[in-house]
Amino acid sequence: MNAIDTLRSQVKGAEGLLPLRVLSASGQLGYGVPEEAFAEGLRRKPHFIGADMGSIDPGPYYLGSGNIATSEAQTRGDLKRLLTAARSLKVPLIIGTAGCAGAKPHLESVLQMVREIAREEDLHFNLASIGADMPREVVKKAINNGQVQALGAIPALTAHDVDESTHIVGQMGIEAFQRALNAGADVVIAGRACDTAVYAAIPGMLGYPLGPAMHMAKIVECASLCTTPGGRDALLATLDGDSFTVDSMNPIRHASPMSVAAHSLYEQDDPYHVYEPEGTLHLDSARYEQVNTHMTRISGARWEPAKHWTVKIEGAAKVGERALMLAGCADPRAIAAMKQILPAVEKTVRELTQHTVKESFEVYHRVYGIDGVFNWPTPPAVMPREVFVMVEIIARTAEAAKSVATVFKQFLLHHGFPGRISTGGNLAFPFTPPEVVTGPAYRFSAYHVMQVDALEPLFPVTIESL
Amino acid sequence: MGIKLIEIAKVIRSKNAGPTKLTLDLLFNDEAGYQMALASEALKPAAIASYYGLQSQQVQFIAYPQALAIKIAMDRKIVAGNPGDKDVYGAQQHSPLLEITL
Repeated sequence: MNAIDTLRSQVKGAEGLLPLRVLSASGQLGYGVPEEAFAEGLRRKPHFIGADMGSIDPGPYYLGSGNIATSEAQTRGDLKRLLTAARSLKVPLIIGTAGCAGAKPHLESVLQMVREIAREEDLHFNLASIGADMPREVVKKAINNGQVQALGAIPALTAHDVDESTHIVGQMGIEAFQRALNAGADVVIAGRACDTAVYAAIPGMLGYPLGPAMHMAKIVECASLCTTPGGRDALLATLDGDSFTVDSMNPIRHASPMSVAAHSLYEQDDPYHVYEPEGTLHLDSARYEQVNTHMTRISGARWEPAKHWTVKIEGAAKVGERALMLAGCADPRAIAAMKQILPAVEKTVRELTQHTVKESFEVYHRVYGIDGVFNWPTPPAVMPREVFVMVEIIARTAEAAKSVATVFKQFLLHHGFPGRISTGGNLAFPFTPPEVVTGPAYRFSAYHVMQVDALEPLFPVTIESL
Repeated sequence: MGIKLIEIAKVIRSKNAGPTKLTLDLLFNDEAGYQMALASEALKPAAIASYYGLQSQQVQFIAYPQALAIKIAMDRKIVAGNPGDKDVYGAQQHSPLLEITL
């Protein structure tokens, strides 16, 4: 019997469905799974284990480059812990957004680790992988048909953006996971996926109402982040028809109605609605009730199926190669003048390199202590004693970027400005060389929503027996 | 003399909601503080827009009584992590709120 049919028989009670226990192992797999809480979660005999690996938060680099965001050793360790646990309990393991960004190279890296772990640990199971790379022709056709809309402040998507992107992924919903499970999967490793789909796909297949199931999924996908004090420990949700409870597997992390409700704010622009490919979750009617000092019961969320399926698409394109110039400054006069000095030096550097660097380049300067983090409308009332200066160059080649950074360093070091008293140099370098080449720089070329007629062709399922 | 936001809020945080939106979460210690903040002009879209150099229609204000919280969402001027950005996660864009008097 395949894994989903086994679950169907396990949750079938005389008077309807029995409570479904869902263990969220991690909100971001690959940074370590706290062992004590995870082990406690396994003792509660979950019906399945889920983990999310992904996020768009770390910026366009990972999607653009195809590199995974977490360290290989830590990722392998986490995968091994989850695979051995799920196989010893003989329950499904569902992992979403492989390797942070969920494009083909990320998915392949994670699948390769899973295959190696299975071989080393003598584990045997049906492994499903689900691709999330959007065919470029499909996206271009949708653009032409007016079926692609920007999500927030980003320009309208063009065919040129599509061509420039190194990777374009779509966020899959529950449909893709359900197809993988119907095909006999014990372990599902998905490319880019909605966080919620990892946890809502199975309840949806088993017949639990989708409103509470989706709300449960939305809360548990961050593991114990919805508790006080919040943390990364495993979280157990028990879905019981129209409501569910959340229970941190670390006894010091308590889920209160307030802490769970507040979690709906986290990284969402709207705490009342969650938009998924297959519909919208409405949370305005949600209720949060204290069960005991450690657990909260949640009910009342409503699921509205979509009239048209939509997929959030994410793309990243290379903008060039990046080099940095890093230095400190402790001279009060140089600090006071730094915001004027930097553009003046940039002008000099552009003149000096016009014949040697035969390509255009971009320069960004940030003065930590003054405006490195926030675009303050006015300078600070009192200037800081020290500042850190980072000059960033983006050029087509790393050689050009480094060359500009090197010239910039020298002319910033010796730039003369009115009132200068420290003529030995304007900068302190903690080490040399102070120019660093950091590799390719990317931009988000797509963060849009695309209306689609069919989900299945966009998210192909492949099954292999290990 | 008004009261400072930081005196009645237990959480004042910023974070992206996707790479094109920056959001601010304000969580309050009690109902009285929440109501005071809800009524204050200093947290309305026009005021928030002025702190962040935006137009007021680029700012949304959502009351969330379930958690005695206010969610403010706004456009990012630079898409997260694109060239010129200063805060990829948007986790350090809350500072202007620490100075606000309600």
